[in-house]
Amino acid sequence: MRTVRDIAVVAFGQTDHRRTSDELSEVEMLLPVLHDVLDRTGLQTSDIGFTCSGSTDYLAGRAFSFTMALDGVGAWPPISESHVEMDGAWALYEAWTKLLTGDADTALVYAYGKSSPGSVRDVLTRQLDPYYVAPLWPDSVALAALQAQALIDAGETDELALASVAARSRSSATANSHAQLRGSVPQGDYLVRPLRTGDCPPIGDGAAAVILAAGDRARELCERPAWIRGIDHRIEAHSLGVRDLTDSPSTRLAAERAGAFERPVDTAELHAPFTSQEVVLRKALRLDDSVRINPSGGALAANPVMAAGLIRIGEAAARVHRGESDRALAHATSGPCLQQNLVAVLEGDAR
Amino acid sequence: MPEVLKAPLVVEFPFTRSLGPVQSAFLTGLRERVVLGVRTTDGRTLVPPVEYDPVTADEIRDLVEVAPTGTVTTWAWNHEPRRGQPLGTPFAWVLVKLDGADTALLHALDAPGPDAVRTGMRVRVRWATERSGAITDIACFEPYDGAPGELTGHDGRFGDMVTGIVAPARLDYVYSPGRAQSAYIASLSERRTVGERCPSCRKVYVPPKGACPTCGVATSEQVEVGPRGTVTTYCIVNIKAKNLDIEVPYVYAHIALDGAGLALHGRIGGIPYDEVRMGLRVEPVWSEGGRHPDHYRPTGEPDADYETYKEML
Ligand SMILES: [Zn+2]
Repeated sequence: MRTVRDIAVVAFGQTDHRRTSDELSEVEMLLPVLHDVLDRTGLQTSDIGFTCSGSTDYLAGRAFSFTMALDGVGAWPPISESHVEMDGAWALYEAWTKLLTGDADTALVYAYGKSSPGSVRDVLTRQLDPYYVAPLWPDSVALAALQAQALIDAGETDELALASVAARSRSSATANSHAQLRGSVPQGDYLVRPLRTGDCPPIGDGAAAVILAAGDRARELCERPAWIRGIDHRIEAHSLGVRDLTDSPSTRLAAERAGAFERPVDTAELHAPFTSQEVVLRKALRLDDSVRINPSGGALAANPVMAAGLIRIGEAAARVHRGESDRALAHATSGPCLQQNLVAVLEGDAR
Repeated sequence: MPEVLKAPLVVEFPFTRSLGPVQSAFLTGLRERVVLGVRTTDGRTLVPPVEYDPVTADEIRDLVEVAPTGTVTTWAWNHEPRRGQPLGTPFAWVLVKLDGADTALLHALDAPGPDAVRTGMRVRVRWATERSGAITDIACFEPYDGAPGELTGHDGRFGDMVTGIVAPARLDYVYSPGRAQSAYIASLSERRTVGERCPSCRKVYVPPKGACPTCGVATSEQVEVGPRGTVTTYCIVNIKAKNLDIEVPYVYAHIALDGAGLALHGRIGGIPYDEVRMGLRVEPVWSEGGRHPDHYRPTGEPDADYETYKEML
């Protein structure tokens, strides 16, 4: 993928992800993370060229919470700003295109989700086809379970293999102080069979932020910028019964367009809230055992809805920043059963 | 720090949605116990049918009847049904490819337990006794041992077409307003108005939201303001609001409490509506057991000088 400007992730920050955060409003939860990424780069809010966020008011049932969250970025007098009702990974995509146009040299991207005030399994039914599907209230775990059963029937996985994905994720998360579920977590009873509680992500609240910068500005702000070599997102038909749930052609296509298959990656941060979805993504992205999958623990260790995808990009970038990766793949998903997928390829300069 | 406030919050809407011609035929068909699909240009039959081909984006209108029987393509056992779901007893979620269709429909399968369900099993539609033209006209599927069901021979043209659906949506929350607003509400219960000062620009926000939108920093220093204040601007309300027992016309005003950096709003009473003016000095009037001032009334002080409140307009 050739672009007119080189754009990099230069800073990443996230909250500790917790089951509840009753004592904090969205903006109160978000502020420390915004200051974290600004401090890492030495930037002030007034230095930021473009701001873009991802969130949904349905999660906490607060109308216009995204406009209130803007108080945290110093949005008055008015700044150049946008919002997506999607995971923050798509806000990052919008910010990336803004930087490509040359209108801005730096961008602040943030996302937050407070699932604790509501029932996220039910809230997510409201994103489904309102004519044929939403009136049946199929919750997010039920839909993921249909996909898991399809994979088991196809011989692509079994309950034992899914349990090992869960165990590996939470074991990796012991090195991630922000994670909500770490270490030994029982696989538990069926939530919706064949998925057990251990196959499902924790429900919690959290926020994350990323700063993007172009060209020399990126080199000034970060010792080893994580250059976005390619980024693309693709979507599949909205009717579940039209799709082959054991595959993810949209992920494969996005990865192809992002240049993921040109050279092997050493690390992949996959946004797979359910163990079974990692099976689908590994296949679509052709990731073998030489690739380190979700060293952060992934969404099975912390899944602040609307931020978990952005966190995958941030975690991959942070590994490049620290010199722990030279070429990393980051993936984000949105919708039921991996309906829409975003893939980014990040690289550090040769050392 | 005051205790975290919480209150139940219900968000509920009856969404009224209009239907395209294909959706209309499908849902009308369900009302009449006929299952219709739509044929794509490459000859596949989509059930449930859509207005546009998901692969080619062609507009598709060629309706074709399929059987009310079919085969399970995948399933998931739901031992704990949730509100709004098709069955109140444990059931299987299923994708069902109806006989004659090339795609699968999502619904519930009534079965005695997970051991009675498998991919590839045969099922048939169990119709709801009362049908209105909605996906819930299919009550659920049930196990079925037999050949493809009979077609009615219907062409999808009905006398009384369903043109829309009403889809009620309800979500329940436990709302908590966060640190700054909890503190504000807690002090109101003592009939005090407490804002927060920005550590950077020193502006006092009332009610406080926890952050200064100009500086982008957290506010935390609590500052009691008022109780008196100045009317910065106002309007005269002439239309009676539903469920509000206030005689019209009345005045609704922006009021800058003494010490506050911005105005809040409230009703002005104790003075004829046409005598309210910018600069009028007012004070809160609390009703018995009220959790915020019922209204504000004149203090009798001389009007405030325009220069003292023009920044808060
Ligand atoms: Zn300030």
